[in-house]
Amino acid sequence: MLATYLTRRLAQLGVVLLLVSVVVFAIMHALPGDPVQLMLSGAESGSVTPERQEQLREEMGLNDPLPVQYGRFLRGAVTGDLGTSVRLRQPVLDLILDRLGPTLALSLGGILFAVLIGVTTGVLAALRQGSWIDGLSRVLAYVGVSLPLFWLGLLLILVFSFQLSWFPPAGSEGVRSLVLPSLSLGLVSAGVIARLTRASLREVLVEDYIRTARAKGLPRRFVYLRHALRNALLPVVTMLGLQFGAMLAGAVVTETVFSRPGLGRLVVSAILWKDYPLVQGIVLCMAAMYVLVNLLVDLLAAWLDPRVRNEAPA
Amino acid sequence: MAAASILVLVGCAPDAAPGGDDATDHLVIAWPASREPASLDGHIEPYQTAWLIDYMIADPLLIIGPDGGFHPALATGWSSNAVADQWTFTLRSDVVFQDGTPFDAEAVRYNVERILDPATRSGEMAAHVGPVEHVEIVDDTTVTLHYDAPWVTVLDAFRRVPIWSPVAAERWGIEAFDRHLVGAGPFLLEEWVPNDRVTVRRWDGYGGWNSIADEPGPARVERVTIRFIGEEAVLGNVVRTGNAHVAMNLPTTYIDDYRGAEGFSLVTGYQAGTGLQMVMNTRRPPFSDLRVRQALLHGTDQHAINDLLYDGNYLTSDGPLNTVHRCYWEGSADHYPHDPETARRLLEAAGYTDRDGDGIREAHGVTGVEDGTPLRVRWTILDREEMGEAVQAQWRPLGIDLVIEIVPGPVQLERVNARDFDLIYERQRSPDPLLMDMLWNSAHDVVGGWAWTGFVDAELDGIVSQLRVIADPDARCELAREAQRIIMDNALMLPTLSEPIFYAVSDEVRGFQLASEGQFYFLHNVELVRE
Repeated sequence: MLATYLTRRLAQLGVVLLLVSVVVFAIMHALPGDPVQLMLSGAESGSVTPERQEQLREEMGLNDPLPVQYGRFLRGAVTGDLGTSVRLRQPVLDLILDRLGPTLALSLGGILFAVLIGVTTGVLAALRQGSWIDGLSRVLAYVGVSLPLFWLGLLLILVFSFQLSWFPPAGSEGVRSLVLPSLSLGLVSAGVIARLTRASLREVLVEDYIRTARAKGLPRRFVYLRHALRNALLPVVTMLGLQFGAMLAGAVVTETVFSRPGLGRLVVSAILWKDYPLVQGIVLCMAAMYVLVNLLVDLLAAWLDPRVRNEAPA
Repeated sequence: MAAASILVLVGCAPDAAPGGDDATDHLVIAWPASREPASLDGHIEPYQTAWLIDYMIADPLLIIGPDGGFHPALATGWSSNAVADQWTFTLRSDVVFQDGTPFDAEAVRYNVERILDPATRSGEMAAHVGPVEHVEIVDDTTVTLHYDAPWVTVLDAFRRVPIWSPVAAERWGIEAFDRHLVGAGPFLLEEWVPNDRVTVRRWDGYGGWNSIADEPGPARVERVTIRFIGEEAVLGNVVRTGNAHVAMNLPTTYIDDYRGAEGFSLVTGYQAGTGLQMVMNTRRPPFSDLRVRQALLHGTDQHAINDLLYDGNYLTSDGPLNTVHRCYWEGSADHYPHDPETARRLLEAAGYTDRDGDGIREAHGVTGVEDGTPLRVRWTILDREEMGEAVQAQWRPLGIDLVIEIVPGPVQLERVNARDFDLIYERQRSPDPLLMDMLWNSAHDVVGGWAWTGFVDAELDGIVSQLRVIADPDARCELAREAQRIIMDNALMLPTLSEPIFYAVSDEVRGFQLASEGQFYFLHNVELVRE
């Protein structure tokens, strides 16, 4: 049953990627601008002649009809060849693989902070309703939702890099360079996760089976962790899948503020330079990651809750 | 709490110095991320910043020094024939590349042919090197370039060309060589992590062949890291907080933090070329009328804009070439003095009056414009909205409604291609006056060309065309000055300001030298001194 479910979800992934590729291709070509002119717009003293520009356009295959260009892209994509970046002149797949690691590390770091801060605060708030920690979780949620990500990042740099010199303000060397960007991403999601954890745990704590467990004389910690929290985390796990998507989007800002390499910065620069193959490749990759993470989340939810497991393949 | 634990786990000891714990010889230079080149191979990449990195790894044949003159590097001398279609370089005989292979005439030939090879897809550098018909190897240390036609800007071209090791370039190919650059410069390329940093380390085999070097032998710093900073606020603070030794393109808002501050210095570089000019579309009203164009020049006070927005830190610009260009025409300075009354009079004469009393003039009796059409002008630019707003404020009392359009690069190029603009931003940099031909010769008023105003004048075209064939530097400047006079007489562009390049430099850095062009600097003599 699980195999059927997985096959169906993976087939859906193929359809999603095909649709995404069509939409991205159409949008990129509808936008104004010529990649060759853009590529040479920084040329000193305007020294590149129109004839040479036309020659470059021809060499890059940009003069071919759009269906031909799309067909070429699709054929390549099926065989794992996403083409060559117009501006960076490297295989798109290599560029994506090169930047995927830093972006994944950043997103996972963000998820880690979001879970550590959000779940911890949410659990404490649920267990101590009306206490200062409950108030803190509410403030955290407001702050996380309302603070612009770039501003939060700058604030962290100002305090932890410039004032305390604990972490580097820029770069991607070593684990220390990952802490502040991950923290800034994680804080944004932590508030949402804290409130969700709190609400979910409050609901679970009044269930009959929790009362039964307590009546059996089980230790309070065991009841909370083994029985209550496991069930309360179901919506949180689903939310994490959505938050991962938000973090991929947030990586664009975070990577810029913290001067880190990654897919976010790569795609922004590719869009600005109208680097068609690169934009298409990155968007496909991000869409695939988003779908796969959500699939993973669904599987995790099924593992946590047998009811979901039994319903899923239907 | 959990976060705090992780902070402790990963260790939070402050950095000892910008380059890490043992950083006495590790120079860190911060650049804005927007200046990171797409390729480090200057044969391919059209951006100057690639050449700047290449300067560390590969000496060119010659350089432009701090005095603005050409000086030897891998070539000891050069000459041309009378018509400038044959150029001969005499090369050093004691140079080897970083991979141990010899530098000789054959290497120069290889580099020229690599740039001109269509497979290299060199846009700009091929255009600079020009139509080389063939490269003649006279002997190991003498090479002659034979051109199809006179090519008077050869020296300016070859001061940019990094000379790469032919063996290394062949080994890695066009696509991969930019991560494995091998030249005969003072530093070896250690790594390039795109969107993050470039690191080079000292090459102990370097002989100090570039005449900028104070003494023969290797560079003094062990390692140099260029770090690409994505956020302006971070770039503005990295030197002050000890995270870098030098910050290039320091944002103007941070200038006061470094000027006169203990432990730092502010270095200002000026780059010859145009200012941040707004060219006018003369194909259609209102700028098809010379009087309107002249009115705008009279109605703009560049000094006030500079003082208001940049505390006077920019250079004001008053003509097609900026004031630091050696071919600048001084007549530009008082050609259109700030005179709002004259501006109003010219607008009235051109048929633009405010009859409905709303403060904005309307066209009355203007050819090609419906009566009553407000005098509304579009200001199309990539950024610097504040400059547009300052001009807007100056023009409003004149009865001109300035509409500011901040557009991304692709949109700007679309507007240019469609010639759909009133005033549009155009800026070019070069110490050679040839750029006057590219920007103002109506022959280049084609899609992909750089002459955008639509102004056609046989005299102007003839003068700037001469810049392609006349080699004498003084004569070239005279031509450029004459061209500037015609452009100003016809008010084809609105000069605004010239942007200097500001560097914040830690006092630990000694021997940091700017070339005559503000963007280029040399690290051959740099050393770090920890007080």
